[in-house]
Amino acid sequence: MKMFAFLFGCMLASGAFAADTCYQDVSMDCGQASNSLALPRCNAVFGNYGRHGNVATEMQAYANLHLERSYEYLLSASYYNNYQTNRAGFSKLFRKLSDEAWEKSIELIKHITKRGDTMDFARRSTQEEKTDKNYTVELHELESLAKALDTQKELAERAFYIHREATRNSPHTHDPEIAQYLEEEFVEKQADTIRNLAGHTADLKKFILANNGQDLSLALYLFDEYLQKVV
Amino acid sequence: MKAVLFAVAALLAVCIPISAKQCNVNPVNIPKGWITMQQSCRGSMRRQIQTEVGASLQYLAMGAHFSRDGINRPGFAKLFFDAASEEREHAMKLIDYLLMRGELETDVTSLIQIRAPERKSWESGVDALEHALKMETEVTKSIRSVIIACESDPKFNDYHLVDYLTGEFLEEQYKGQRDLAGKASTLKKMLDRHSSLGEFLFDKKLLGMDI
Repeated sequence: MKMFAFLFGCMLASGAFAADTCYQDVSMDCGQASNSLALPRCNAVFGNYGRHGNVATEMQAYANLHLERSYEYLLSASYYNNYQTNRAGFSKLFRKLSDEAWEKSIELIKHITKRGDTMDFARRSTQEEKTDKNYTVELHELESLAKALDTQKELAERAFYIHREATRNSPHTHDPEIAQYLEEEFVEKQADTIRNLAGHTADLKKFILANNGQDLSLALYLFDEYLQKVV
Repeated sequence: MKAVLFAVAALLAVCIPISAKQCNVNPVNIPKGWITMQQSCRGSMRRQIQTEVGASLQYLAMGAHFSRDGINRPGFAKLFFDAASEEREHAMKLIDYLLMRGELETDVTSLIQIRAPERKSWESGVDALEHALKMETEVTKSIRSVIIACESDPKFNDYHLVDYLTGEFLEEQYKGQRDLAGKASTLKKMLDRHSSLGEFLFDKKLLGMDI
């Protein structure tokens, strides 16, 4: 009797998912007289991905954010490689940020489809602040590092946000797969990038203040040579 | 006396940090005679960069489509994701060329705009290959129009850029088009009597797998 109750309990607990089976679709449709074989529930969606909460839409927006940042960093890299600015190290730094963001956007798209969803290139995050119309990549060295630091923090904090949405204690939105994907592929590396950029701004700050600003032009030259080595 | 000294000291304390806090180096003047690119050529190069970026985004959408669980064509997805990265590289090569010629000193930010790709789904692998071929044909056509703009400027025939576009870019375009056309043709022949099996096998071939 106890055994029966246990089994019944199990069936109830998993009821929400068990009703949703591909197997039922298959056994319903195969052997029927009709020619159709739709199998609507034979898909990669599990754990309510895309059905509840905003994790799925935020993942699409996250891919789009990486795409946008990738091309912005590419423009910064280009600007620092013109004959006037001529800072090969800064250019290399931005180029690397661009390459990384590009690769991440492709990985995110693949991950979205891995979870049975489609990619929406027009999706924006609810977390997104109003786009800055005065945005420019034509900034001086310290400004450009400041901007890069801010945009890298935005990427990291967006990952935190999606992680938080995916780990809320609710059976509808809890998604450990997304949480661990963000932890493994995003946040750790982002912390490194943020720390490096913050370190660069600290160095430049010291050069600007030191010796009544007399060091600046030479300091920027040396710092750029340094970036060429370390990036 | 002390008050005067204090006032002077206070004034210095206020002034020095302000005058000293310059965070950037002033721009310098370099002779500009070597910068020879003309307006219409420059403009068409800039548009070409945006075209390549647009193609990269459209290829991403193709990669996304073929990665879907219900479509499940990883070989096609790989082909198109790789094509997206290639288009991005084309944009970077054109940017590097402009930089070599003394361009992109200003108006850098407006060079690239990100817009969601127009098309989001394809009926089949053949449909996507034929769409890709059509896209590449358009890109080739627009490279030709850049060449025309850069060689026919009455003030300056930009031989070097024209040579670069003809030798490197058109060559790559023609090879790419031939490759896509060949793939579409092989696939279409396979589909003749075995449509779903044909696409399945061709997809694994694109993945580099031998079945």
